[in-house]
Amino acid sequence: MSTHGYAERLPLGRRRSRRERRRDFDRPRFLRVFFIVFMFFTFAPIAIVALFSFNSTRSLQNFTGFSFQWYDEFFSNVGLRESLMASVEIALVTMVVATALGTTLAFGLVRAQSRIARSSNVLMLIPLVTPEIVAGTSALLLFAQVGIDLSLLTIMIAHITFSISFVTVIVRARLSALNREVEEAALDLGATRLQTLRLIVLPALWPAIIASALLIFALSFDDFVISFFTTGESPTPLPVQIYSSIRFGVTPTINAIGTSMLVISFLILAVAVALPRLLGRREEETVLIGRETA
Amino acid sequence: MSESRFAHLMLAPAGVWLALIFAVPLGIAVAVSLGTTDPIYQAVYGWHPGNYADVFDPLFAPVLLRSVGFALATVALCLLIGYPIAYYIARFGGRWKTLLIALVVLPFLVNYLVRTYAWVAILSDEGLVNGILVDIGVTETGVQFVNTPWAVIGGLVYGYLAFMILPLYAALDRMDPSLIEAGKDLYGSRWQTFRHVTWPAAFQGVAAGCVLVFLPAVGDFISAQLLGGADTYMVGNLIQQQFLEAANWPFGAALTIVMMGFLLIWMSIYLRSAARASREATA
Repeated sequence: MSTHGYAERLPLGRRRSRRERRRDFDRPRFLRVFFIVFMFFTFAPIAIVALFSFNSTRSLQNFTGFSFQWYDEFFSNVGLRESLMASVEIALVTMVVATALGTTLAFGLVRAQSRIARSSNVLMLIPLVTPEIVAGTSALLLFAQVGIDLSLLTIMIAHITFSISFVTVIVRARLSALNREVEEAALDLGATRLQTLRLIVLPALWPAIIASALLIFALSFDDFVISFFTTGESPTPLPVQIYSSIRFGVTPTINAIGTSMLVISFLILAVAVALPRLLGRREEETVLIGRETA
Repeated sequence: MSESRFAHLMLAPAGVWLALIFAVPLGIAVAVSLGTTDPIYQAVYGWHPGNYADVFDPLFAPVLLRSVGFALATVALCLLIGYPIAYYIARFGGRWKTLLIALVVLPFLVNYLVRTYAWVAILSDEGLVNGILVDIGVTETGVQFVNTPWAVIGGLVYGYLAFMILPLYAALDRMDPSLIEAGKDLYGSRWQTFRHVTWPAAFQGVAAGCVLVFLPAVGDFISAQLLGGADTYMVGNLIQQQFLEAANWPFGAALTIVMMGFLLIWMSIYLRSAARASREATA
């Protein structure tokens, strides 16, 4: 475009050629509007569920007044309370076992120099990209073949299996960034492998370990598909319970359960984000102090 | 103990666990998929490749095609919506970048079941939107949103969009924005700049995002269960029925294996690029 044409148009102010207006596509204005509309559509459904969980009537169309009755119904229902406890129990066990297994796997993958370790680095990603329905049905087949009755235990085993890789990916990233010289120094000073692991490596890995543990708790607590295939009769985890009640129709109690689950997940993830930072700062300090006094 | 021996020892617990409870069950699924059921619906091993023929039976083949079609539509929509969002944050987010990407991902941390249910509450025949439409007199009977293919695809997009946005953002954020300026300074057209500068930088993110959305979308059954009906059932619904309602495990297993085999192609693309990325990171 010529400078002449541009200068001519400038005094006219806002009038611009169609071609120039099209260029706004690249500029924030179009994108900003798109972004705001997008945010509205992603948040609105959740906001509506949360809002109607406080409705005073059964209506899902009119908000008639504020009340806690659906929360009351959730927490006073024995079956639902048992489901909530079952979900927490499963998530806790899954968190502990998967974090332990995933962390040792990460250590092995980073430190073992062999063909097995190198190919395992890629193989262990497979559980992450396997559709949950495949995971759920094949776990169900395993339990049926081995003859284990479905219960909370079978859900835990299935959850652990699909949580290990998450832990490994997170811990592996931190582990490969570690300074190996500190460990070598510890070994030179006569520490055993296990002592080095406990005194040098683990303290440095804590932020990653805690972050992945909390992530696993949140994932396990939220999981529906795998639990659905591996659950026994009763108690069933909360998401399975939600699913069966949705099939019988939409009720405001589900809004209350959904909102409670949302709050729990957000709290856990907030801790997951905040805690490693707090710990991380302290840990960096101790490493520095340790070096100075050494 | 040598370092390498010790490290290999650390590989063992999780390695054994994953072999026994991830790899072995897939083998069992293959074995059961070739079996049959006895009169009380117990799976019996055998050699019945007919289960696989059933999968491609005119009765079930449309369900498979529909699953792939829905999943591809989901991928396309996620890319169409996710790219501008990721691009906006990566290029114009400034110091708010981290906050913005956290805000975008936040809704996706809510339970998928609850999020899908939210759309049911909004769009169902006696839901919020139809209530408003009837109140303001647009229609008398309400509009049917649920039970349509678009409702199911919409549910999938709302379910898995974050898997597209995150890798896209990661790729676009790494791109040096001055390269775009350079492209323009060198009189590159907008298309040329996109083709030679932005696209190569975004490509890995696009590929990862597409696979990460496609894989769970193909196997999904919640969206079709809650937002669709028998006409919009996907392979996930079929598998779920065979396992939990029809008690025809061999056929359910055959469906699972066919789906897994199809998805392996996509997985290997993803895994290969992940392997390349990790090699580049360590190199």
